[in-house]
Order: sequence, then structure tokens, then C-alpha cells
Amino acid sequence: MKRNKGMIIAFLAPAVSIFAIVFLYPIIRTIIMSFFKIDGITDPVSKWQFTGLANFIKLANTSLFRTSMWNLFRIWLIGGVIVMSLALLFAVIITSGIRLKSFFRAVIYLPNIVSAVALATMWLQYVYSPKFGLLKTVFSKLGLTALSKVQWLDNDHKFMALLLAYCFGMVGYHMLIFASGIERISSDYFEAATLDGADKLNQFRYITMPLLKGVFRTNITMWSVTSVGFFVWSQLFSTVTADTQTITPMVYMYMQIFGAGNSVTERNSGLGAAIGVLLSVCVVAIFWLCNHLLRDDDLEF
Amino acid sequence: MAREKKYREAVNWKKELRLFPGYLILLIWISFTFVLLGWVLLASFSTTKEIFSNKLLASGLHFENYVKAWINSDVAGIFRNSLVYSIIACSLLIVICAPAAYVLSRFIFPGNKLIQTGFVSAMGVPVVMIVLPLFGIVANLGILNHVLSNGMLLIFLYIGINIPYTTIFLMTFFGNLSRAFEEAAAIDGCPPTKTFWLIMLPMAQPGIITVTIFNFINIWNEYFISLIFANSDQLRPIAVGLYSMINSMKYTGDWAGMFAAVVIVFLPTFILYIFLSEKIIAGVTGGGVKG
Repeated sequence: MKRNKGMIIAFLAPAVSIFAIVFLYPIIRTIIMSFFKIDGITDPVSKWQFTGLANFIKLANTSLFRTSMWNLFRIWLIGGVIVMSLALLFAVIITSGIRLKSFFRAVIYLPNIVSAVALATMWLQYVYSPKFGLLKTVFSKLGLTALSKVQWLDNDHKFMALLLAYCFGMVGYHMLIFASGIERISSDYFEAATLDGADKLNQFRYITMPLLKGVFRTNITMWSVTSVGFFVWSQLFSTVTADTQTITPMVYMYMQIFGAGNSVTERNSGLGAAIGVLLSVCVVAIFWLCNHLLRDDDLEF
Repeated sequence: MAREKKYREAVNWKKELRLFPGYLILLIWISFTFVLLGWVLLASFSTTKEIFSNKLLASGLHFENYVKAWINSDVAGIFRNSLVYSIIACSLLIVICAPAAYVLSRFIFPGNKLIQTGFVSAMGVPVVMIVLPLFGIVANLGILNHVLSNGMLLIFLYIGINIPYTTIFLMTFFGNLSRAFEEAAAIDGCPPTKTFWLIMLPMAQPGIITVTIFNFINIWNEYFISLIFANSDQLRPIAVGLYSMINSMKYTGDWAGMFAAVVIVFLPTFILYIFLSEKIIAGVTGGGVKG
């Protein structure tokens, strides 16, 4: 191994040093920054004022930030339930031996490769359009006049509209993870269960679901990681800077630090850092919970 | 022979009938997808007036929407930017990550596990955790004031944020290659570094192609980093450029042009997907988990 020492260092050096610059150093600095009051983002450390937990307390007392956390929570929970149910349903259908399996799978995954800006624009300007929108056309064709007159993008409906559009784009990815998990389960189990007289529903409930625990864990973790970075969709759905219906912590942070929005009262990079730390804590907490609640160590297959 | 065939078909029909609800659900979902994409495509060839009166393509194909979007709204510029960023960043990512992935998957040395854990954790780190200090450094160094250095910075960041995923993905590929190749090369007197570049790297080609497709899609669609770090209009990548274009087109009322711009933006990843969807889908679930 000694002979290879030089090679190991030379091969690792570029990747590890870029990783240190882009991830390691910024993460540590962000954690430290969250405990300081920092007027300008470019200020040297000597100008930082240590304020302890003041940034976090201030965030907790800012109603706009609380709204943004509440929105994020709703996106995570409601969106998560919708996406996971649809993804699991599609995965079960896809793996049930249908024809054109790869075609269906490819089309369902398709929205994931389209730029979020383009996808959100299609929803905003076409599906939800009050003039020529898909929903309006379909509902008026069906004679549901009341539904066809709904303004999907007004303040009462905007959040649901945003959530639906976002979920549509996310289902494919989670479906693929579920489907590969289901395909890994040996068909012996199902054959044995069929011989014993278990119907499809019971097989799903007592074989598929328990064996998919690990896959659920992966899916929930990935869903949480993507949800925390919720930004583009929110920005596209709000035409005004501080739209309480769709604001998320990332958007709030962006407005605070980089935005020229009217809602900025004071510039404090420490607040932005505190938001980052809070979101990371959420991700770690969900990860920890998933690992403890969805243990599959006792199952061997 | 003929009887056997008939018998098989009969079984199939029974099976298909049982699967009917499944087909129905999938058909509803994918028809929606097709209506969504198809309508936008047709709208991009119509006039704004036709879009509003729901009579798409009533006066034939209007290619001028594309010409207008490409030249007047300068989709050409943001398209070129994104293409340059993606191609340079994707190539460098392989040059940087493939050696690292090879070493991490092949050799036992102190820190190996630590680096792997670091890379895997980084895939779950929210971007908010890294942008503030990075912006501080970059602004202090004056990098954002020059077009060239700003452009290089964007490429550097695209590379940086994709390093953990690319490395972890390639590790599984190198891990699956047999050690016999290196042993044979060593016996023939080939130094390990040369063995990697000439023998092992070409053998990991399927993995390299898959990960490059993912990196390309990621960089092409990247939004947040570009929004913060692209300081001038001429550096904007496609996602950010499209966003501001859509905002301005809403005011000029050029819906047809806007849909044309949307089509131009999603076309490159879409075409890639048509040809490589099997590879992409296998990559999502096969080699590591995408962050």
C-alpha cells in the first residue's frame, strides 16, 4: 500500500479540496455565523457581534418566518402523503406485470428531468390560467360551471395549486425507488402466499409493506431533503415579493440577504445562517426519526 | 402450434382484464402529462390571439415565435451559457471524481471511510448552509465584478456541488470491476496510475455516461446557485434567464413567445431523455441515491 501512497493523495486531492472549499468550510462557518449579528455579508470576523441565540429567538418572533416554516411543514406533510401514496400506487401497478411497463415508467418519470422553471410555467400559464387554462376548459366541458370559474391562483387556492403542481413533478422519482424495492422482493413469498389462499390486498399488506420499510426510509429522507430546499416553485408562484401563501424559509432567507424586497427591515447575515442551521436540524431530526421508527434490522430477505 | 398460441392468448386476456384498473390509472396520469406538454408545444407554434381563443394552430405553424424568442429575447444567449457551463463542468467532474472514486473504492487507507461519510452527508445538506460564506469570500475577492472570473466561478460551483454525488455514484462502478485487470497490468509492469487512466477508466464507461447525463440535467436545471452568483445578465444560465424572460413576457403579453421559450428550455433534457430514458431510470435506482 505504501507504494500507492502518492497515487492515493494525487487522485483524492482535487475532489477533497474542492469539497472542503464548497461544503466543509462554508458549513462550519454558517454554523458559527448563526450565533452572531453580522451587518454585511462581506464583513470580516472582527466586526461580528456575538449574540448567542438572539438570531434564533428573533426568527421565532418573526411572523413572516413562522408562516414560511408552516408552509414548508404543510408542503412536507401534505405533499409527502400525496406523493408517497401516488408513487407507491404507480410502483405497484408498474410491477404487477403490465404491458408497456418501461413506456409507462418513462413517461411518469419524465417531469423530473424538465427544468422546474419550465414545468412551473406550464402549470401557471396553462393549467391554472383563468382564460384558456386546462382546468377551466375541462370543468366547463363537464358542465361544472362553479369549478370552472375558480381562480386557482388567487390567495385562497394558490397554496393548493402550488402543492399539486409540485407533487406532479415529484411522483416519478419516488415511484422508481418504490418499484425497484418491490422488484427486489423474491416472488417466492407471493407464490407461497397465493398457495395459502391470501388475496392480492392481503399480500400487499402483509408481505410488500413490511419488506418495503427500508425503501420508505430512503424515500422519506429524500423527500425531506428536497422539500427543505423548496425555492423555485415558490418564487414562480408569487408575483409579489412577500407572498404569505407560498413563502418558504429559503425564499425568506433569499429576501433577507440578497433580495431588494420591500419587506427587509434590517440586514443581518446571521439570521440567514440561522435559517440554514434550523433547516439542517430538521433534516437531521427526520433522518434520525426514520432510522429509529422504520428499523428493518429484524427482517432478512 | 396454433392451438398453443391460442391458449397463451386466452390466458393473457384474462390477465389483462385483471390489470385493467391499473392500466386505467396509469393512462389517466400519462394522458395528463401528454396534454400538458403537447398543449404547450402546440401553443408555441400558435399566435397569442389563438391561445386566448382556444383555437391552437388555427392559422398554421408560426415558427416566428421561436425566431423571436431565440433572437429578440436572447434565448440564444442563455442557451449558449448553459451549454458551455454544463459541458465544461460535466467533463471536469469526471476528471476530478473518477480518480477519487477509484481510490476510495480500491484502497484501504486512514480517512477513507471519513471522506465517504462526508460525501454522503453532503448530499443531504441544504444549499442555504453553504451560500452565505461562499458569497462572502467571492464578494471580498471581487470575483463578481469581472465577467470572465464570474463565469469561471459558476462552473467551479457547479462542479463543487456535484462532486459528492458523482464520486459516490462512480465508486459503485469501480467497486464492481474485477481486480484481475490491475493484477495483470502490474505483472506486465504498468504503473498503477497508468493502469487507472488506460484500463480502469475506460471500463467504467457505462457508469461515467450515466453520471454525466445526471450531472448535465442537474446543471442545466440548476437555479438557486446561479440566481445568487451570476452577477450580470450576460452570464445567466437558462433557468434564471427563462425566469426573468417569463416575467417580462407577461407584461408584453407575448404568450406564444413565452411558450416557445419554455419549449426551447426543456428540449435539450427532453431529447436526451427520449434516447436515454432506460439508462437514466436504471441510474436513479441502480448506482447510489441521487441527492
